Amino acid sequence: MTDLAARQAELVRALLADGPVPAGFDPDRVRAEAAALLAKRRGVAARLRPDLAATLGDRFRPLFDTWARENPRRAGESFRADLDAFARWLQERERQERERRSGHRLD
Amino acid sequence: MGLPTLGVGIGWRSEIDLTVERLPGVDFVEVLAENVSPDPLPESLRVLRGRGVPVVAHAVSLSLGGAEPVDPRRVAHLAAVAEAVDAPLVSEHVAFTGAGGLDSGHLLPLPRTREALDVLVRNVRAAQQDLPVPLALENIAALLEWPDGELSEGRFLAELVERTDCWLLVDVANLHANATNLGTEPGRFLDELPLERLAYVHVAGGVRHGDLYHDTHAHAVPPEVLEVLGELCSRVSPPGVLLERDDAYPPDAELAAELAAIRAVVSR
Repeated sequence: MTDLAARQAELVRALLADGPVPAGFDPDRVRAEAAALLAKRRGVAARLRPDLAATLGDRFRPLFDTWARENPRRAGESFRADLDAFARWLQERERQERERRSGHRLD
Repeated sequence: MGLPTLGVGIGWRSEIDLTVERLPGVDFVEVLAENVSPDPLPESLRVLRGRGVPVVAHAVSLSLGGAEPVDPRRVAHLAAVAEAVDAPLVSEHVAFTGAGGLDSGHLLPLPRTREALDVLVRNVRAAQQDLPVPLALENIAALLEWPDGELSEGRFLAELVERTDCWLLVDVANLHANATNLGTEPGRFLDELPLERLAYVHVAGGVRHGDLYHDTHAHAVPPEVLEVLGELCSRVSPPGVLLERDDAYPPDAELAAELAAIRAVVSR
Protein backbone atom coordinates (compact mmCIF):
# COMPACT_ATOMS: atom_id res chain seq x y z
CA MET A 1 0.00 0.00 0.00
CA THR A 2 1.38 3.44 -0.84
CA ASP A 3 1.85 6.08 1.78
CA LEU A 4 -1.00 8.11 0.27
CA ALA A 5 -3.37 5.14 0.29
CA ALA A 6 -2.58 4.44 3.94
CA ARG A 7 -3.02 8.08 4.93
CA GLN A 8 -6.31 8.43 3.06
CA ALA A 9 -7.59 5.25 4.70
CA GLU A 10 -6.56 6.54 8.12
CA LEU A 11 -8.43 9.82 7.60
CA VAL A 12 -11.54 8.01 6.31
CA ARG A 13 -11.54 5.73 9.35
CA ALA A 14 -11.34 8.78 11.60
CA LEU A 15 -14.25 10.41 9.75
CA LEU A 16 -16.56 7.43 9.37
CA ALA A 17 -15.66 4.82 11.93
CA ASP A 18 -14.50 6.68 15.04
CA GLY A 19 -10.86 5.94 14.25
CA PRO A 20 -8.09 8.01 15.85
CA VAL A 21 -7.44 11.49 14.44
CA PRO A 22 -4.37 11.18 12.18
CA ALA A 23 -1.26 13.09 13.21
CA GLY A 24 -1.20 16.73 12.20
CA PHE A 25 -4.97 17.17 11.70
CA ASP A 26 -7.03 19.59 13.75
CA PRO A 27 -9.27 17.29 15.86
CA ASP A 28 -12.09 19.87 15.92
CA ARG A 29 -12.15 20.00 12.13
CA VAL A 30 -12.07 16.22 11.83
CA ARG A 31 -15.11 16.13 14.15
CA ALA A 32 -16.86 18.83 12.12
CA GLU A 33 -16.23 16.96 8.86
CA ALA A 34 -17.38 13.68 10.43
CA ALA A 35 -20.61 15.36 11.56
CA ALA A 36 -21.12 16.87 8.10
CA LEU A 37 -20.64 13.49 6.40
CA LEU A 38 -23.05 11.87 8.84
CA ALA A 39 -25.64 14.59 8.19
CA LYS A 40 -25.30 14.08 4.43
CA ARG A 41 -25.72 10.33 4.79
CA ARG A 42 -28.76 10.85 7.05
CA GLY A 43 -30.25 13.25 4.48
CA VAL A 44 -29.83 10.69 1.72
CA ALA A 45 -31.41 8.06 3.99
CA ALA A 46 -34.43 10.25 4.70
CA ARG A 47 -34.92 10.91 0.99
CA LEU A 48 -34.49 7.31 -0.16
CA ARG A 49 -36.44 5.72 2.72
CA PRO A 50 -39.14 8.24 3.71
CA ASP A 51 -41.04 5.22 5.10
CA LEU A 52 -38.40 4.66 7.78
CA ALA A 53 -38.13 8.36 8.59
CA ALA A 54 -41.92 8.64 8.93
CA THR A 55 -42.29 5.51 11.07
CA LEU A 56 -39.48 6.48 13.44
CA GLY A 57 -40.32 10.18 13.70
CA ASP A 58 -38.09 11.83 16.32
CA ARG A 59 -36.26 8.55 16.85
CA PHE A 60 -35.00 8.46 13.24
CA ARG A 61 -32.02 10.73 13.83
CA PRO A 62 -30.55 9.13 16.98
CA LEU A 63 -31.19 5.61 15.72
CA PHE A 64 -29.74 6.31 12.29
CA ASP A 65 -26.69 8.02 13.78
CA THR A 66 -26.03 5.12 16.18
CA TRP A 67 -26.28 2.60 13.37
CA ALA A 68 -24.28 4.70 10.88
CA ARG A 69 -21.32 5.15 13.23
CA GLU A 70 -21.12 1.41 13.73
CA ASN A 71 -21.68 0.65 10.05
CA PRO A 72 -19.73 2.91 7.71
CA ARG A 73 -20.81 2.38 4.11
CA ARG A 74 -18.52 -0.05 2.34
CA ALA A 75 -17.04 0.82 -1.03
CA GLY A 76 -19.15 -0.55 -3.86
CA GLU A 77 -22.29 -0.81 -1.73
CA SER A 78 -25.20 1.27 -3.00
CA PHE A 79 -27.05 3.70 -0.76
CA ARG A 80 -30.14 1.52 -1.15
CA ALA A 81 -28.38 -1.67 -0.09
CA ASP A 82 -26.89 0.26 2.82
CA LEU A 83 -30.35 1.40 3.90
CA ASP A 84 -31.75 -2.11 3.57
CA ALA A 85 -29.13 -3.07 6.15
CA PHE A 86 -30.34 -0.21 8.39
CA ALA A 87 -33.94 -1.47 8.04
CA ARG A 88 -32.85 -5.00 9.01
CA TRP A 89 -30.97 -3.59 12.02
CA LEU A 90 -34.13 -1.76 13.11
CA GLN A 91 -36.22 -4.92 12.76
CA GLU A 92 -33.73 -6.94 14.79
CA ARG A 93 -33.69 -4.26 17.46
CA GLU A 94 -37.48 -4.26 17.66
CA ARG A 95 -37.54 -8.05 17.87
CA GLN A 96 -35.10 -7.95 20.79
CA GLU A 97 -37.19 -5.30 22.53
CA ARG A 98 -40.33 -7.39 22.12
CA GLU A 99 -38.53 -10.39 23.55
CA ARG A 100 -37.33 -8.38 26.49
CA ARG A 101 -40.85 -7.11 27.16
CA SER A 102 -42.43 -10.58 26.95
CA GLY A 103 -39.60 -11.91 29.15
CA HIS A 104 -40.50 -9.31 31.78
CA ARG A 105 -44.12 -10.41 31.72
CA LEU A 106 -43.11 -14.01 32.34
CA ASP A 107 -41.02 -13.07 35.38
CA MET B 1 -9.90 23.36 -29.09
CA GLY B 2 -12.30 25.71 -27.34
CA LEU B 3 -15.43 24.98 -25.42
CA PRO B 4 -18.89 26.38 -26.16
CA THR B 5 -20.30 29.43 -24.44
CA LEU B 6 -22.93 28.11 -22.03
CA GLY B 7 -24.48 31.21 -20.47
CA VAL B 8 -26.37 31.06 -17.16
CA GLY B 9 -27.85 27.77 -16.01
CA ILE B 10 -29.15 25.67 -13.16
CA GLY B 11 -28.54 22.14 -11.94
CA TRP B 12 -31.29 19.84 -13.22
CA ARG B 13 -32.71 17.67 -10.41
CA SER B 14 -35.67 15.31 -10.71
CA GLU B 15 -37.38 17.09 -7.76
CA ILE B 16 -37.46 20.38 -9.68
CA ASP B 17 -37.60 19.10 -13.26
CA LEU B 18 -40.71 21.08 -14.22
CA THR B 19 -39.33 24.19 -12.50
CA VAL B 20 -36.12 23.94 -14.50
CA GLU B 21 -38.12 23.50 -17.72
CA ARG B 22 -40.19 26.65 -17.18
CA LEU B 23 -37.74 28.99 -15.41
CA PRO B 24 -36.86 32.00 -17.54
CA GLY B 25 -33.24 32.54 -18.49
CA VAL B 26 -31.94 28.98 -18.30
CA ASP B 27 -29.31 28.77 -21.04
CA PHE B 28 -27.93 25.37 -19.98
CA VAL B 29 -28.32 22.72 -17.29
CA GLU B 30 -26.14 20.19 -15.55
CA VAL B 31 -27.18 16.68 -14.58
CA LEU B 32 -25.67 14.60 -11.78
CA ALA B 33 -24.52 11.53 -13.68
CA GLU B 34 -24.86 9.20 -10.70
CA ASN B 35 -28.55 10.10 -10.34
CA VAL B 36 -29.75 9.23 -13.84
CA SER B 37 -29.88 6.33 -16.22
CA PRO B 38 -28.68 7.07 -19.75
CA ASP B 39 -31.38 4.79 -21.19
CA PRO B 40 -34.08 5.79 -20.89
CA LEU B 41 -33.11 9.34 -19.99
CA PRO B 42 -35.59 11.18 -17.76
CA GLU B 43 -38.26 12.69 -19.98
CA SER B 44 -37.54 16.21 -18.72
CA LEU B 45 -33.95 16.00 -19.96
CA ARG B 46 -35.21 14.84 -23.34
CA VAL B 47 -37.56 17.84 -23.41
CA LEU B 48 -34.68 20.21 -22.64
CA ARG B 49 -32.40 18.59 -25.22
CA GLY B 50 -35.25 18.84 -27.72
CA ARG B 51 -35.24 22.59 -27.16
CA GLY B 52 -31.53 22.70 -27.78
CA VAL B 53 -30.57 23.41 -24.15
CA PRO B 54 -27.02 22.09 -23.57
CA VAL B 55 -26.71 19.52 -20.76
CA VAL B 56 -23.38 19.08 -18.96
CA ALA B 57 -22.83 15.75 -17.16
CA HIS B 58 -21.39 16.24 -13.67
CA ALA B 59 -19.99 13.40 -11.57
CA VAL B 60 -19.30 13.18 -7.84
CA SER B 61 -18.10 9.63 -7.27
CA LEU B 62 -15.07 8.97 -9.49
CA SER B 63 -12.67 9.68 -6.58
CA LEU B 64 -10.01 10.89 -9.02
CA GLY B 65 -7.74 11.86 -6.15
CA GLY B 66 -7.98 8.45 -4.49
CA ALA B 67 -4.83 6.36 -4.18
CA GLU B 68 -6.89 3.31 -5.08
CA PRO B 69 -7.64 2.68 -8.78
CA VAL B 70 -10.64 4.52 -10.25
CA ASP B 71 -13.61 2.20 -10.78
CA PRO B 72 -13.92 1.93 -14.58
CA ARG B 73 -17.67 1.31 -14.30
CA ARG B 74 -18.15 4.79 -12.82
CA VAL B 75 -16.21 6.36 -15.68
CA ALA B 76 -18.20 4.28 -18.18
CA HIS B 77 -21.48 5.46 -16.63
CA LEU B 78 -20.41 9.10 -16.85
CA ALA B 79 -19.40 8.54 -20.48
CA ALA B 80 -22.77 6.92 -21.24
CA VAL B 81 -24.72 9.78 -19.66
CA ALA B 82 -22.57 12.31 -21.52
CA GLU B 83 -23.35 10.60 -24.83
CA ALA B 84 -27.06 10.26 -24.02
CA VAL B 85 -27.43 14.01 -23.37
CA ASP B 86 -24.91 14.96 -26.06
CA ALA B 87 -22.92 16.83 -23.42
CA PRO B 88 -20.39 19.41 -24.63
CA LEU B 89 -18.23 18.47 -21.63
CA VAL B 90 -18.27 16.55 -18.37
CA SER B 91 -16.99 17.53 -14.93
CA GLU B 92 -15.75 16.01 -11.69
CA HIS B 93 -13.97 17.15 -8.55
CA VAL B 94 -10.44 17.38 -7.24
CA ALA B 95 -11.20 15.06 -4.35
CA PHE B 96 -11.39 11.50 -3.11
CA THR B 97 -14.50 9.78 -1.80
CA GLY B 98 -13.24 6.73 0.01
CA ALA B 99 -10.29 4.61 1.03
CA GLY B 100 -9.53 1.39 2.86
CA GLY B 101 -12.78 -0.21 1.71
CA LEU B 102 -15.04 2.57 3.03
CA ASP B 103 -17.08 5.07 1.02
CA SER B 104 -17.32 8.57 2.50
CA GLY B 105 -20.37 9.39 0.39
CA HIS B 106 -19.04 12.87 -0.15
CA LEU B 107 -16.02 14.76 -1.47
CA LEU B 108 -12.94 14.86 0.73
CA PRO B 109 -9.93 17.11 0.16
CA LEU B 110 -6.57 15.85 -1.05
CA PRO B 111 -3.25 16.51 0.58
CA ARG B 112 -1.65 19.18 -1.61
CA THR B 113 1.55 17.22 -2.04
CA ARG B 114 3.53 16.19 -5.13
CA GLU B 115 2.67 12.57 -4.39
CA ALA B 116 -1.07 13.28 -4.34
CA LEU B 117 -0.80 15.41 -7.49
CA ASP B 118 0.98 12.56 -9.31
CA VAL B 119 -1.80 10.15 -8.34
CA LEU B 120 -4.49 12.62 -9.41
CA VAL B 121 -2.78 13.26 -12.74
CA ARG B 122 -2.53 9.53 -13.42
CA ASN B 123 -6.22 8.97 -12.64
CA VAL B 124 -7.37 12.01 -14.64
CA ARG B 125 -5.40 10.92 -17.71
CA ALA B 126 -6.88 7.43 -17.49
CA ALA B 127 -10.43 8.82 -17.16
CA GLN B 128 -9.90 11.24 -20.07
CA GLN B 129 -9.08 8.28 -22.33
CA ASP B 130 -12.47 6.75 -21.61
CA LEU B 131 -14.55 9.94 -21.82
CA PRO B 132 -16.06 11.09 -25.12
CA VAL B 133 -15.80 14.84 -24.38
CA PRO B 134 -13.47 17.24 -22.49
CA LEU B 135 -13.26 16.93 -18.71
CA ALA B 136 -13.39 19.93 -16.36
CA LEU B 137 -12.27 19.60 -12.73
CA GLU B 138 -13.70 21.48 -9.78
CA ASN B 139 -12.24 22.90 -6.56
CA ILE B 140 -14.12 21.53 -3.54
CA ALA B 141 -15.27 23.04 -0.25
CA ALA B 142 -13.39 21.61 2.70
CA LEU B 143 -13.84 21.80 6.43
CA LEU B 144 -10.40 20.39 7.14
CA GLU B 145 -6.95 20.59 5.69
CA TRP B 146 -4.15 18.04 5.43
CA PRO B 147 -1.16 19.01 7.54
CA ASP B 148 1.63 18.86 4.97
CA GLY B 149 0.63 20.92 1.93
CA GLU B 150 3.51 21.67 -0.44
CA LEU B 151 1.46 23.72 -2.91
CA SER B 152 -1.27 26.33 -2.57
CA GLU B 153 -4.67 25.17 -3.82
CA GLY B 154 -4.34 27.47 -6.84
CA ARG B 155 -0.89 26.12 -7.76
CA PHE B 156 -2.10 22.56 -7.26
CA LEU B 157 -4.93 23.13 -9.75
CA ALA B 158 -2.69 25.04 -12.17
CA GLU B 159 -0.22 22.15 -12.30
CA LEU B 160 -3.09 19.70 -12.74
CA VAL B 161 -4.25 21.66 -15.80
CA GLU B 162 -0.70 21.88 -17.20
CA ARG B 163 -0.11 18.16 -16.86
CA THR B 164 -3.50 16.79 -17.98
CA ASP B 165 -4.86 19.49 -20.29
CA CYS B 166 -8.12 19.34 -18.32
CA TRP B 167 -10.47 22.31 -18.04
CA LEU B 168 -11.43 24.13 -14.85
CA LEU B 169 -14.77 24.31 -13.13
CA VAL B 170 -14.38 27.04 -10.51
CA ASP B 171 -16.94 26.82 -7.73
CA VAL B 172 -17.06 30.28 -6.18
CA ALA B 173 -19.15 29.04 -3.23
CA ASN B 174 -16.48 26.44 -2.47
CA LEU B 175 -13.87 29.15 -2.74
CA HIS B 176 -15.84 31.28 -0.29
CA ALA B 177 -16.15 28.25 2.01
CA ASN B 178 -12.40 27.67 1.95
CA ALA B 179 -11.75 31.36 2.50
CA THR B 180 -13.91 31.22 5.64
CA ASN B 181 -12.83 27.80 6.89
CA LEU B 182 -9.22 27.49 5.82
CA GLY B 183 -8.09 31.06 5.24
CA THR B 184 -7.73 30.72 1.45
CA GLU B 185 -7.34 34.13 -0.20
CA PRO B 186 -9.82 34.20 -3.11
CA GLY B 187 -7.83 36.82 -5.05
CA ARG B 188 -4.59 34.90 -4.82
CA PHE B 189 -6.34 31.63 -5.64
CA LEU B 190 -7.84 33.15 -8.80
CA ASP B 191 -4.54 34.78 -9.76
CA GLU B 192 -2.82 31.40 -9.67
CA LEU B 193 -5.32 29.67 -11.97
CA PRO B 194 -4.93 29.47 -15.75
CA LEU B 195 -8.32 31.12 -16.29
CA GLU B 196 -8.06 30.69 -20.06
CA ARG B 197 -8.89 27.06 -19.24
CA LEU B 198 -12.09 28.00 -17.38
CA ALA B 199 -14.99 25.86 -18.66
CA TYR B 200 -17.69 27.16 -16.34
CA VAL B 201 -18.48 28.27 -12.80
CA HIS B 202 -20.62 26.91 -9.97
CA VAL B 203 -22.61 29.12 -7.60
CA ALA B 204 -24.48 27.73 -4.59
CA GLY B 205 -25.91 28.66 -1.23
CA GLY B 206 -24.81 27.67 2.23
CA VAL B 207 -24.97 28.58 5.86
CA ARG B 208 -22.59 29.68 8.55
CA HIS B 209 -22.54 27.82 11.88
CA GLY B 210 -20.13 29.46 14.29
CA ASP B 211 -16.73 29.74 12.63
CA LEU B 212 -17.56 27.39 9.79
CA TYR B 213 -19.30 27.98 6.48
CA HIS B 214 -21.19 24.91 5.24
CA ASP B 215 -21.70 24.65 1.49
CA THR B 216 -25.15 23.05 1.80
CA HIS B 217 -26.76 23.76 -1.59
CA ALA B 218 -29.92 23.96 0.54
CA HIS B 219 -29.84 27.67 1.49
CA ALA B 220 -29.97 30.93 -0.43
CA VAL B 221 -26.83 32.16 -2.19
CA PRO B 222 -25.24 34.64 0.24
CA PRO B 223 -23.94 37.99 -1.04
CA GLU B 224 -20.35 36.96 -0.20
CA VAL B 225 -20.52 34.20 -2.80
CA LEU B 226 -21.71 36.66 -5.45
CA GLU B 227 -18.80 38.92 -4.45
CA VAL B 228 -16.35 36.11 -5.20
CA LEU B 229 -18.15 35.60 -8.52
CA GLY B 230 -17.64 39.30 -9.18
CA GLU B 231 -13.94 38.96 -8.39
CA LEU B 232 -13.68 36.11 -10.88
CA CYS B 233 -15.61 38.08 -13.52
CA SER B 234 -13.21 41.03 -13.12
CA ARG B 235 -10.46 38.68 -14.37
CA VAL B 236 -12.25 36.68 -17.06
CA SER B 237 -15.63 36.47 -18.73
CA PRO B 238 -16.80 33.00 -17.69
CA PRO B 239 -18.18 30.82 -20.52
CA GLY B 240 -20.90 29.59 -18.18
CA VAL B 241 -22.23 30.06 -14.65
CA LEU B 242 -24.48 27.45 -13.05
CA LEU B 243 -26.62 27.64 -9.90
CA GLU B 244 -26.65 24.45 -7.82
CA ARG B 245 -29.55 23.70 -5.51
CA ASP B 246 -29.89 20.20 -4.07
CA ASP B 247 -32.37 20.38 -1.21
CA ALA B 248 -34.97 22.51 0.58
CA TYR B 249 -36.15 23.75 -2.81
CA PRO B 250 -37.61 27.26 -2.63
CA PRO B 251 -40.48 28.65 -4.73
CA ASP B 252 -39.65 29.07 -8.42
CA ALA B 253 -39.53 32.85 -8.02
CA GLU B 254 -36.61 32.58 -5.59
CA LEU B 255 -34.60 30.45 -7.97
CA ALA B 256 -35.44 32.86 -10.79
CA ALA B 257 -34.24 35.76 -8.63
CA GLU B 258 -30.96 33.96 -7.88
CA LEU B 259 -30.41 33.33 -11.59
CA ALA B 260 -31.11 37.00 -12.29
CA ALA B 261 -28.65 38.04 -9.56
CA ILE B 262 -25.99 35.82 -11.14
CA ARG B 263 -26.69 37.27 -14.57
CA ALA B 264 -26.39 40.79 -13.17
CA VAL B 265 -22.91 40.03 -11.80
CA VAL B 266 -21.78 38.34 -15.01
CA SER B 267 -22.95 41.18 -17.25
CA ARG B 268 -21.63 43.98 -15.04
